[in-house]
Amino acid sequence: MDKKYGVYICEGCGIGDALDMKALCEIPEEEGVPVKTHPFLCGKDGVALLEKDIEEGTNTLVIAACSRRVNFDVFRFDGCIVDRVNLREQVVWSHPRSEFPALTEDQKGDEEHFDRLEMLAQDYIRMGMAKVEKIDLPEPYKLDNFSRKILVIGGGVTGMSAALDAAKAGYEVTILEKEAVLGGNAINWRKQLPLQSPYEELIPPVVSDMIQAVESTSNITVKLETVAARIAGEPGNFIVTQKKPGEKIEFDVPFPLPEEMKVDEKGKELTAEQLHEKFLEYNVGKNDILTMDSDGEAFGAVILAAGWRPYEPKEGEFAHLGYGELPDVVTNVQFEEIANRGKLIRPSDGKEASSVVFIQSPGGGDDDGDFEYAGSVTSLVALKQAKYVREDFPEGKSFLFYQHMRTPGLAENFYKSLQQDPGIFLTKGEVTQVSKNGDGLIVEAENTLLGEKVQVKADMVVLGTGMVPVTKDDPVVNLAYRQGPGFRDNDIFQDYADSNFICFPYETQRTGIYAAGGIRRSLTVEESMEDASGAALKAIQCINSANRGVSVHPRSGDMTFPDFFFQRCTQCKRCTEECPFGALDDDEKGTPKPNPTRCRRCGTCMGACPERIIGFADYNIDSVGSMVKSIDVPSEDDYDEPPMRILALVCENDAYPALDIVGLNRMSYSAEIRFIPVRCLGSVNVIWIKDALSQGMDGVFLLGCKHGDDYQCHFVKGSELAEIRMKKIGEALSSLALETERVAQFQIAIDEYDKIPQIVNDFAEMIEELGPNPFKGF
Amino acid sequence: MADAYVIEPDIGFIHEVKGLGGGDLKKCFQCATCSVACPISPDNKPFPRKEMIAASWGLKDKLVGNGDVWLCHNCGDCTTLCPRGAKPGDVLGAIRAYAVTEYGPVKAMGKLINDPKMLPVVLGIPAVLFLVLGLITGLLNFNPEGDRIVHAHFFSTWLVDMVMLPAAAWAVINFAIGLKRFLNDMHQNALQEGKTDIEKIDPKGMVMGLLRMIPAILKHDKFNECSENKDRATAHMMVLFGFIGLFIVTNIFFVAIYGLQIHGPYSQMNPVKWLGNVSGVALIIGSILMIRSRLSKKDQVSAYKDWWLVGWALALGVTGMSAQVTRLLGLAGISYTVYYVHLMFIWSLFFFIPYSKLAHLVYRTTAMAYNEYIGRK
Repeated sequence: MDKKYGVYICEGCGIGDALDMKALCEIPEEEGVPVKTHPFLCGKDGVALLEKDIEEGTNTLVIAACSRRVNFDVFRFDGCIVDRVNLREQVVWSHPRSEFPALTEDQKGDEEHFDRLEMLAQDYIRMGMAKVEKIDLPEPYKLDNFSRKILVIGGGVTGMSAALDAAKAGYEVTILEKEAVLGGNAINWRKQLPLQSPYEELIPPVVSDMIQAVESTSNITVKLETVAARIAGEPGNFIVTQKKPGEKIEFDVPFPLPEEMKVDEKGKELTAEQLHEKFLEYNVGKNDILTMDSDGEAFGAVILAAGWRPYEPKEGEFAHLGYGELPDVVTNVQFEEIANRGKLIRPSDGKEASSVVFIQSPGGGDDDGDFEYAGSVTSLVALKQAKYVREDFPEGKSFLFYQHMRTPGLAENFYKSLQQDPGIFLTKGEVTQVSKNGDGLIVEAENTLLGEKVQVKADMVVLGTGMVPVTKDDPVVNLAYRQGPGFRDNDIFQDYADSNFICFPYETQRTGIYAAGGIRRSLTVEESMEDASGAALKAIQCINSANRGVSVHPRSGDMTFPDFFFQRCTQCKRCTEECPFGALDDDEKGTPKPNPTRCRRCGTCMGACPERIIGFADYNIDSVGSMVKSIDVPSEDDYDEPPMRILALVCENDAYPALDIVGLNRMSYSAEIRFIPVRCLGSVNVIWIKDALSQGMDGVFLLGCKHGDDYQCHFVKGSELAEIRMKKIGEALSSLALETERVAQFQIAIDEYDKIPQIVNDFAEMIEELGPNPFKGF
Repeated sequence: MADAYVIEPDIGFIHEVKGLGGGDLKKCFQCATCSVACPISPDNKPFPRKEMIAASWGLKDKLVGNGDVWLCHNCGDCTTLCPRGAKPGDVLGAIRAYAVTEYGPVKAMGKLINDPKMLPVVLGIPAVLFLVLGLITGLLNFNPEGDRIVHAHFFSTWLVDMVMLPAAAWAVINFAIGLKRFLNDMHQNALQEGKTDIEKIDPKGMVMGLLRMIPAILKHDKFNECSENKDRATAHMMVLFGFIGLFIVTNIFFVAIYGLQIHGPYSQMNPVKWLGNVSGVALIIGSILMIRSRLSKKDQVSAYKDWWLVGWALALGVTGMSAQVTRLLGLAGISYTVYYVHLMFIWSLFFFIPYSKLAHLVYRTTAMAYNEYIGRK
């Protein structure tokens, strides 16, 4: 594309009052780039001005006005490259003239005084101009083969619910159910928790109606006693090989080599070819992930609704509660089976169980936690089952001992209604012992509401054990991905298939695979059905993004994708290994094979690549590098005491909006920092830092999301990887006799914007104390 | 620590307390707002939270003999502030009603008095009793002679005392039995819950406690600490002093008739008569105020037991006063009929007092005296 440039500077929102417009305009003018100012660029007139220039051939625009996060629709011009220079939030709003005064006539050009604010604005204009020179208009990646079908793994309440929702939205759905019947766990229940207002009474399980609905829906195909042997390919074109459970076939998914097998006897790393050979040996009888099953069925997206299995207590795990020893101590799932068979009777002697104790926390130690894999659903199930006792026996008594009674939302109504029942007794408390008492049981508890050590005689005791996601035992999805068949980091989500504690429900760590129901969290039927709708919508979103060649999430609609300059690839595999989403599959030589629709466009591969051969049309090593290089670094040749220059690479997900909020709140901070937004700290390539330091900038910091187990990183691993890379760069710095403190990384959550000025100023002060970069001026 | 407490919920007890005005007791979620709100609850083991928990668990043994339920004056501060609408004040009232029945030796009487369907029986007993006894003894004269209306000519004083004295004696006996059991249970409960460490009750100390409490009771000190139903204290005071005044008047006239052989009707100029009239008016106004207060307070429960008592008090006052007024107006037939009804009310008041809400006169006083005695603040 032949670029025709234009720079447009808005004077509104205080920009024109604080800055010398003429001086700003000189920057593009010097480069021979046309520049225009407008008092109100986002208004009708301003936009008309831009539109007129575009009509006359301008196609590469630098709009210096407000943050890119506002008025994005106003300044969106299809077919044009547009960069937004943030003069408002990051310059004039966060650097008031009262603190950063303009020069008087005498001070101008005296080699002693300089206008920090003007310098800041000018740098940003330069950076914007440098960027648009280096980027291109993206062209979408289109798959050759594309399927709009949705695969649902699991035919329980969640799976069926998702299938029905997707089918109603007009999609062809296939359900894989490993059992011989649909329904999952819910078919063995006597009753279920309420689904609608007033949320007070138990209802018959909805599962049977749901099975009927699924069977009578024409665009749902049900495959019973079937599992996914492997899911190869990528969103929009997943190739699924199906098989009977337990069967062994050549398209069973291979497993990656364990770490200890990746080295030879001497502990030396094996070559790519050797590794591949060993991998094939390790997975003998199975085809490599890149071998496509020509009989496989194509799907656009997958809903993972494989659900949960009851927690199985380990031998002697709840000995103090009598589990395993006393037959009348059962889990909630076992109790449900008894209730479903008819009147409640004791397993030991078949006598009526009219007094039942429900235990929600195992106790026996300092820990007051509930049973593992429990949640609000286990509280609610205990309440439900307490009601069974009352239904079966007019004088029946149910006792609930809990450390936490969780009845969120309108489930509170159910709790309240049960609390009214004269035969249901609820107390917080720690159960210490369950023992035999004649032909019944006696339960001892401490720290109850009744204020003392108490004992209750019971016919049965029910433990509120949890719901274990089946992904704990098995990958289930069996992805033919180089990183492995399952999700990589489920352990930090207590084995649930999830990718973020706060944001992004349904999204797993693999694009195109959406988790719902018990696989994602311990959920009630109601919550699972809601989850199912969410996952179905996500799957539809995935199909309708992949088909247009745009990113699904979180950069929804992003048309770019990583482009590899393979001639220079050294097969180091870093990109394959570090991609948080397993988007890359390397071949037997170690050359990465990109799967663009699996990609979330975070750029972690770009940050990882030591050869710097990965980039995006509008975001690449050169574009950011040129921005860094365009920053004016004054030296002693310019001023007696030149100002510091600090580069900040800012994550655009949380940190950049937080910076905008700082401006919005008119909080001020050092004017020596030059911010460059990055897609994720994971995309930061160390070359940018080296560029900055080698051209004399005094410090560099990264500002991004929190990492660790409770990470807030939108791309799971980005900020964590950046931290590792920053540590490594520290070593390089000390070899150059530069202080390692000159490079830092800070974590910020979006709501911690108020901390930013402090962080920034402290860093600037610290750099000031270190003194100027010795490479300055060379 | 003592042995573990064996929880044995009594679901029947829960149902009964619910029926006696504690219908919302299971709504309690144990936040303790009630105990904080209560102006008269002691700092050590405050009520009514622990009572609410025990009630929702059907722990009858922790409640019936619990003196704290009697320290409560049902002022309603807790009920107003309860975030869950569990109405602790009313639950305690219901527990008291249950306890009164439990301590009386004839439990059937408690059932009779607390069941609205049994009201005709409750009123019918004295009506029939008077008629039968009067006809047998001939002391009931349906054609009283003379120009003056003299109630004694219709309903002989002998007959009045023949029915009233045994009823009063019955009340005293029942109270005595109930109180003995109650005091014993209350003490055991206090020991168990650590409210006191006095092993055995010293009767002298108990009496001293009672003497110290009486002025406070008469002045309604505790009642006045409440904020929600302060007006009820005034009404209660009027009714209480009305009863006390009438009790004094009755005794004086008892002495006048049998000791001094002076028979009524007495002159309106007689100071004793003044006291009687003032007391009667206080009783009527006080009970009307109470009824009005109960009608206007929609958030507080007024169970049958509550209406029985205020209704009875009003009926007593109104029939007594009307009998006198109609007598003075010379409306013989009406006056005699009203007098008959008045006597019916008095009799059933005596007869049922150990089982009615009015029993609080005895139980609360005892509980307050005991509390004073053990020095619980």
